[in-house]
Amino acid sequence: MQNENAIETFGLTKVFKSKFSAENGRRLFWRKENRKVTAVDHLSLEIKKGELFGLLGPNGAGKTTLVKMLCTLLPPDEGTARVNGFDIVKDQMNVKRSIGTLFSVGERGFFWRLSGYRNLEFYAAIHNVPHNRIDERVMEVLRLVGLEDRAFEFFQKYSGGMKRKLSLARALLPDPPVLLLDEPTTGLDVVSSRSIREFIRNELSKKAGKTVLYTTHYIEEASQICDRIGIMNKGKIIALDTPDAIRNMAKKGEFVDIVVQNITEAQENAVRRLNGVVSVATEVQDAVLGQVRLRVRLENVDALPGVLDYFFRENIKLVNFRREEPTLEDAFIELTGAGITE
Amino acid sequence: MTLREELWKNYYFMKRDIISFSTYKTNILLMIFSALFGALTYAFLGANATMEAVLARYHMTFTTYLIIGIAFMTYLSQSLTLVQRTINPWSLEEVLVSPTGLLTFIVGSSLWGFIWSTLTIIIYLAVGVLAFGVVLSVNIIGTVLVVALGIGTFIGFSMIGAGVLIVTKQGDPVATLITIITSLFGNVLFPPQLMPQPLQAIAYFTPQYYFLTDVRVMLTGGSVSSIAFELAVLALMCAVILPVGYFAFLWCLKTARKNGTLSWF
Repeated sequence: MQNENAIETFGLTKVFKSKFSAENGRRLFWRKENRKVTAVDHLSLEIKKGELFGLLGPNGAGKTTLVKMLCTLLPPDEGTARVNGFDIVKDQMNVKRSIGTLFSVGERGFFWRLSGYRNLEFYAAIHNVPHNRIDERVMEVLRLVGLEDRAFEFFQKYSGGMKRKLSLARALLPDPPVLLLDEPTTGLDVVSSRSIREFIRNELSKKAGKTVLYTTHYIEEASQICDRIGIMNKGKIIALDTPDAIRNMAKKGEFVDIVVQNITEAQENAVRRLNGVVSVATEVQDAVLGQVRLRVRLENVDALPGVLDYFFRENIKLVNFRREEPTLEDAFIELTGAGITE
Repeated sequence: MTLREELWKNYYFMKRDIISFSTYKTNILLMIFSALFGALTYAFLGANATMEAVLARYHMTFTTYLIIGIAFMTYLSQSLTLVQRTINPWSLEEVLVSPTGLLTFIVGSSLWGFIWSTLTIIIYLAVGVLAFGVVLSVNIIGTVLVVALGIGTFIGFSMIGAGVLIVTKQGDPVATLITIITSLFGNVLFPPQLMPQPLQAIAYFTPQYYFLTDVRVMLTGGSVSSIAFELAVLALMCAVILPVGYFAFLWCLKTARKNGTLSWF
């Protein structure tokens, strides 16, 4: 029977040893201690052929380490993985022939005083694109990412979004069945991010049928484009399902969104301690007007009168109030016990 | 802001730099060596390297001796830093995830550098011949052989240096050390025979000495048989240092990959 999975990991583990100064704020030249960090912890995962799989997790969750192991850059300490049917330890050359990678700082691997075209020409050669097809293939991928008009400009003149698109174009050069995209929109503005997301969803996933492993720490980004999401924390996958299903994991309880005016920090803490209140997340809505948005999670709807009563007793002006559906961020916080940007 | 506060700021600038500088301990040591060896080099050059001394030993004018030495040092410098220059951590990662072997990467990355070095050498020699009356009689096969052995030896050193750089992330002490040694013992600016006996002995352990001795003979009408011993020593050094460098580089690369520190330098 033919394998339906493009990526499979079997107890994949990576432990880093690092030295750090035990200095308590004072610099010590030679007093170093060893520390072990398990970046990826016995991870077993299956990603189907043609699937757009989002790997979501806070910084340090192990996403990049996993990608680097899958693309053969890092050897695992335990376990193994297969990419496009090839073992990442025993059959590295075939794994490399099966993948296109985009690293989150991948544009630093470009040659800044060459044009986008010339950069891709070089990378096409080292990715085994036949010599007589290089020009055609480079123009194809440049057209695909919308850079054909800027092909012969120096790379150093490209905007951040263009550089990231060129990184994507480089990943596409060998026309690989599997794409490993590590935080492809990090550091980009909203418009560039959306354009790259749409390209990945529409062109690479839907039209070309590529298998895409897409890592990000942006929750909404993953929920918008991915078929399935794995939430990774401390080297483990702690939830794995469709975006809707993961969102529903946080459906226990009620969510209310309340905008109030002139609330103090002490009063915010008092709300957290009210009966039936599970959590309160706050953000400034309007600093000039002193408006704060509280996202309150309640055990059940019966706790709501107590919260509203507290605002009336404390003379806190209620500006807006509505019940909310749980978001992916709620699910993430519930699952990891942390904010996404932690 | 008072003057006192501005002075305190300067203090913190200096403190930042001193702390940062002090982390490069090998570099500090090499800088001290560099200053010491530089002073010795020019002292020997000024005191002893006369045209007569060179003529007696190499049968060529001091100008010819210097121009060939300096010109062909560009090959050695090019080779010595070759691998370090090509292993920009980011492009190295991109190459390592491609189906291209490391050997192709190193050879491919070095081609233009050597073509450029050859052009530079031709300019040096042309100026010497046209403007300073340098007389050359080139043994082409012998020169190519000597240059190939010299480049091979120094690429071996370069790979060791690049490996150290990948693992320690602190500059390339190997290339710096060899450059410092070359300035004094390398037979570039004056024959090592002009130094006291114990220092001469050091020169005989350096491939630079044999490379430049051989190349001078090959460019001034000498035969391969006349440098048979020096050529054999250079070939032996190349046969040892090149594979040692290659395997040391592979080991360092493997270690950095295992530790996940490939892109840290």
